[in-house]
Amino acid sequence: MSAAEFILSGMLAAATPFLLAALGELVVERSGVLNLGLEGIMAFAAAIAFIVVYQGGGHMLAFGVAAIAGAALAMVFGVLVLTFRANQVAAGLAIGILGLGLSSLVGKPYESLTITGLPKLALPGLSSLPVVGGLFVQDAAVWLSLIATAAIWYMFRATKLGLTIRAVGENPHAAHAIGTPVIALRAAAIAFGGAMSGVAGAYASTVYTPLWADGMIAGRGWIALALVVFGTWMTGRVFFGACLFGALSLAELTAQAAGVGLPSQLLASLPYLVTILILGIISSDRRRMRLNAVASLGEPFET
Amino acid sequence: MTQTRRQFMATTAAATAALGLPGLARAADPLGIALITPSPLGDVGWSHTLKLGLDGVVAKLGDAVKLTVLENIPEGPDADRIMQKTVTDGNKFVLAGSFGYMNGGLQLARRFPDVSVIHASGYQVAPNFANFAARYFQGTYLMGMAAAALSKTGKIGSVSAFAIPELITSINAFALGAQSVNPAIEVSVVWVNSWFDPAKEQAAAKALISQGNDVIFSNAQDTPSVISACEEAGVYAFNLNSSMKSYAPTKYLGVVGTDWSPYFIAEVEAHIAGTFKGSSHWLGIADKVVFVADWNPDIPADIKAKIDETEAQIAAGSFNPFTGPILKADGTEVAAAGAVIPDDQILAMDWHVKGVVTPLPQ
Repeated sequence: MSAAEFILSGMLAAATPFLLAALGELVVERSGVLNLGLEGIMAFAAAIAFIVVYQGGGHMLAFGVAAIAGAALAMVFGVLVLTFRANQVAAGLAIGILGLGLSSLVGKPYESLTITGLPKLALPGLSSLPVVGGLFVQDAAVWLSLIATAAIWYMFRATKLGLTIRAVGENPHAAHAIGTPVIALRAAAIAFGGAMSGVAGAYASTVYTPLWADGMIAGRGWIALALVVFGTWMTGRVFFGACLFGALSLAELTAQAAGVGLPSQLLASLPYLVTILILGIISSDRRRMRLNAVASLGEPFET
Repeated sequence: MTQTRRQFMATTAAATAALGLPGLARAADPLGIALITPSPLGDVGWSHTLKLGLDGVVAKLGDAVKLTVLENIPEGPDADRIMQKTVTDGNKFVLAGSFGYMNGGLQLARRFPDVSVIHASGYQVAPNFANFAARYFQGTYLMGMAAAALSKTGKIGSVSAFAIPELITSINAFALGAQSVNPAIEVSVVWVNSWFDPAKEQAAAKALISQGNDVIFSNAQDTPSVISACEEAGVYAFNLNSSMKSYAPTKYLGVVGTDWSPYFIAEVEAHIAGTFKGSSHWLGIADKVVFVADWNPDIPADIKAKIDETEAQIAAGSFNPFTGPILKADGTEVAAAGAVIPDDQILAMDWHVKGVVTPLPQ
């Protein structure tokens, strides 16, 4: 297998944990709420999902339970910031730390156990193409995350729900004045974001690296958060950023394995540098950037 | 501000009082041993072997000792605080299980002269502060011999955590062992630049496999990330510290294991007898600390016989894996034929031997 084939075939799977969490956070931030707790929510749901699969529950159930667990933990954050109007940055960080702690706690008896992942499904025809064929051989969760990306893109682009979420994020008072239930909508967005982070965590611990080890999320929640900002709150760019990051992180390892004469520290920082650079160039148009940024992000809503 | 200072004074006073307390403990009390590890205690891996070593101490000395385990403690101020606390709680023998605990552990040893501290893989020494490390390279040399015999592509690789001398030494010995069987073998290394990131480790293993490496050395990973990915891909793999054969029933090459109990028992008994001396312990096959086990049955019998013979020579001290001729990757000679690289140079190794194709990060 050539290096390019390896990167192409592994890119989407590597991107999926970031992509799912970032898509969820995108919806949350579009509604005007900043949830910094992704890392903890992912870790907690990852532990729960692993336990479900390990106990013989299967991947479907694991993803479902992880989504519920993620949404439940996110709703703790939701109650803090929506009902008690707590500072969103502080509350998000607290939930993140809580989630990491909970993941250690529930995952303790399962430390460094392994399970089997999901089989790969090939798109007939496309998967036999030379070089790019590997791109069309992915597990079911990857295919579903691509569908989710398209669905969220469509929602923001062409549905009333998408427009309402954006209106709440831009100007909650105006949205409130025309009768939009701001708090309820934000609560739903937070729950959805939590569920997506939960599924992202489940993917990481039961499919991508089918083992449980405390701390295995290893900063992926933070990268997802960064992708939302660098993707300027646009679904297509977030997707592009996640794929780019996934591809570059594999390229780094492949370059080392192939003996490319660059220092590994430089290679290791490449995914971050290039992603920031490319998304920075894309979003360098200040006027458009201001247009895309969510106006009420991080501000509590009071009627 | 005043209140903060008053609170601080109160805390300090309480801490000072607490410091005095353990002195009141009676001599008949069991010796409190505290183990502090950087990673969670799993069924496998580095922290697990430290715990097993101390279990050996408990098995030998029984009620004379009492074990406290503090796992998953990040290196840094938190670890210093927790080590202090465990000593003020009455533990008199501290095992600091990671390089990063060195300075905190040394301070602890200076502050409490009646406490003995043994520290993993550092270099500092004090009258009541010893350090210990394993000569993994003796085992990885033997693994290299087996790897070269089993590799069909002539390419073998290693997923390695950080480019520090201990890990470089293991890779170099692995390459030298492989070259003793197949002089043309190529060794590739992927540095993941992380002690703990299972997803990245697994991706690194897959990257090596995609480049045709068909025996993989999981260098310093505490989880079976690399081993299970290799089993799935059908390539041989081995790791350090404790056996992961159950994660790779068919493709497990073997383990370079560590059994710390002989060393730990000696140190604890020395502490009880009052003869504990801070010194450096670099322990290998001859000390029965490093061992190789769980060999894959696919290894050809003639190679296996050669491996056993080499192992016996290492145990007897008549052979050192770093015996010349040894060339650096850039072709300069470090040891002439028959010359042995001295220990202090092995401990500070920051170059790859010829045959390791990945350049070393500087």
